[in-house]
Amino acid sequence: MKKTISISFGLVLLGLSLSAPATISVVTTTQDLAAITEAVGGDNVTVQSLTRGTRDPHFAAAKPSMIRKVYRADLLLVIGADMEIGWLPPLLQSARNGRVQPGNPGYLDLSSVVPLLGKSSGPVSRAMGDVHAKGNPHYWLDPSNGIRMAKAIATRLSELDPTHKIDYQQRLNTFTEILSNKLSVWQNELTPLKGNKVIAYHKSFIYLADAFGLHIVDEVEPKPGIAPSAASLSALVAQIKRDNISLLILEPYYERRSAQYLNEQTGIRIAVLPQSVGARPDIKNYVALFDAIVAVLNNTKGK
Amino acid sequence: MVKPYCYVMQFVAVFTVLLLNTGTVIASNETDALRKQLTEMKHLQKNYEQQIDAMEKRLVDLESNQNKPEKLAVTPVESSLVTSTGSNNDFQIGLTGLFAAGASSVDNDSLEGLQAGGHDPNKNGFTVQNVELSIGGMVGPYFDAQANLIFLIDAEGETVVELEEAFFTTRSLPHGLQVKGGQYFTEFGRQNNQHPHTWAFVDQPVVLSRFFGGDGLRSQGVRASWLMPTDWYSELYVGVQNPKGETVTSFLNAPGEDIGGYTLIDRDARNFSDMLYTARWLNGFDLSDTVSMNVGVSGLLGPNASGTSTDTTMVGADFYLKWQPDYSQRGYPFVSWHTEILNRRYEAGDPGSPSRETLKDWGMFTQALWGFKPGWVAGLRAEYASADGNTSTDPLRDTRKRLSPNLTWYPSEYSKLRLQYNRDWTEHLPDKTADSIWLQYEFNLGSHAAHVF
Repeated sequence: MKKTISISFGLVLLGLSLSAPATISVVTTTQDLAAITEAVGGDNVTVQSLTRGTRDPHFAAAKPSMIRKVYRADLLLVIGADMEIGWLPPLLQSARNGRVQPGNPGYLDLSSVVPLLGKSSGPVSRAMGDVHAKGNPHYWLDPSNGIRMAKAIATRLSELDPTHKIDYQQRLNTFTEILSNKLSVWQNELTPLKGNKVIAYHKSFIYLADAFGLHIVDEVEPKPGIAPSAASLSALVAQIKRDNISLLILEPYYERRSAQYLNEQTGIRIAVLPQSVGARPDIKNYVALFDAIVAVLNNTKGK
Repeated sequence: MVKPYCYVMQFVAVFTVLLLNTGTVIASNETDALRKQLTEMKHLQKNYEQQIDAMEKRLVDLESNQNKPEKLAVTPVESSLVTSTGSNNDFQIGLTGLFAAGASSVDNDSLEGLQAGGHDPNKNGFTVQNVELSIGGMVGPYFDAQANLIFLIDAEGETVVELEEAFFTTRSLPHGLQVKGGQYFTEFGRQNNQHPHTWAFVDQPVVLSRFFGGDGLRSQGVRASWLMPTDWYSELYVGVQNPKGETVTSFLNAPGEDIGGYTLIDRDARNFSDMLYTARWLNGFDLSDTVSMNVGVSGLLGPNASGTSTDTTMVGADFYLKWQPDYSQRGYPFVSWHTEILNRRYEAGDPGSPSRETLKDWGMFTQALWGFKPGWVAGLRAEYASADGNTSTDPLRDTRKRLSPNLTWYPSEYSKLRLQYNRDWTEHLPDKTADSIWLQYEFNLGSHAAHVF
């Protein structure tokens, strides 16, 4: 009798171990989402990002290999707020994966868990350039939003994989603790820049400015997504001189000639800020992203 | 859920009443007592029933309230993702207008033979190439649908409306399957199912105009595709379409048209063997983080109208390579290279007929694009097409070469200006060469048109 029980118990255990999914397959639209998922998912997940941090996520090159990745995914994480509007809808249609269709548990739009800035209050028209009516989608550049995103990701992972709920919770706690500690360090280091007037190339640093007290007064692009012209640049030269603007920040993928021109005309300092995990080869996780941003800003402020 | 639960409640209530009342039964006047007891019980039962009804009603109310958000949560559709306006549920509408102005060294009659595509600029002066209304969206959790209507102005200045495409596709069939049905562009090669406003050149490749006619290969039918369980992207498309009409010119084209000297008869598809069968196998590879490649082969088999039992077979191979560096702004810079080779075997004339022969045609185009700064693309296309036999007077079968450099500027994502020069070498024109220059302009209103991979 005892033997029978132990054998059947053993068989049940064997069955459980065979049927239990090894890991949750997570596909993200950006490397920032992938980095946060790796931090809270650890060994229980495999993470793939559809785009690389070196590229502008608005304009991802849609590739067939992406169809394959989304088809196999258990969970799809997106930035949302129209960030991926140009390429994700046809990709989701081709991927024929019911689990990760919007509205299902395998689809998580992180813009729904953070307070979005820059929501348009009035009517929006294309004459205004690439305006995101739902709010500015570059929200991962505020570390507090990183914590919010991590929380939402951990919750969703726990729902999909309840057996490892405790693991996700523990890693979330660790991530939150590290990030909270780091946040005060970064804020301290950037105190001298607080309230400084800054020009950004694109409307993509408003969350970063919000988190560290920078004051972005204008953009190099006359309208979002519209390249600067000679006239718009000379207007900027006048503005920089008049308002004593000291710093120009831009992503590594933007053209540098406009920035160099402004530097030559006004002496404004230029900071090329990595905007995403993977934007530089040395930035491999979410904490390293802000370490790198703070380092660049520190280097420029003294010059 | 509600009903069995209530029956249980009712049963429990009656049973409880019976238990409570057994002790109070006195045997002295059994009939009276029983009658009294029965009345009491009926009264109690009525009370309980009323209570149960009230509870049942509350339960139904509660459950219907709970169900509402639950049902919303499982609907696998979210409007915010698919509409750029965010206000209109799952519905996209867009209008593109594509126009050209230009001049050629040859007259308009000769241009019609050179620019054989239905949307090609083919007049000295102005051409309305394509005004297209696209409507599409999610039909429900399981289907997407799209319709493309074309407005054209023909040579007589008449406005023509065409139902270019109207089809559904499934969204989440199991095992990597997808079904598409309706009127649609056949998936053959990379270029055929692209719409004119996404073309990299102002006109369609010569070989496609020859094999698929002015409007590209499209017809009514159904196709299934299977995303194969391979480590790389590999998809197999198999379909069946009606073989008859002006948009399937290598098959049952309109009677009276001719091909290689054979005048087409009025032939209908009579059974399944008379349908147009289509197949495509597409593979995609990421060679590195910056280079990706697509390789496809396609095939077609169907009847043709040169005889009562004649068939056409076509095969094609396509190759697409794209390079985009690590750091790119708005998708620029990039270099892409797209090549297609097509071959057609057209059985002309019925078996036994003395003039029976097989018309063998082939053609290719290869085009490179260089997006050298945001919004600016330079392109170069080289084409060759020829056929077996004495075809030198036939504009659709002579040996033909064309070289087309162009330059495109996108002031924003929704508009473009393109300047293209065409150098043509033909056999059928007296001059043997032609030079043309085209300026193309485009606007896009409304939603993004879906991009092709």
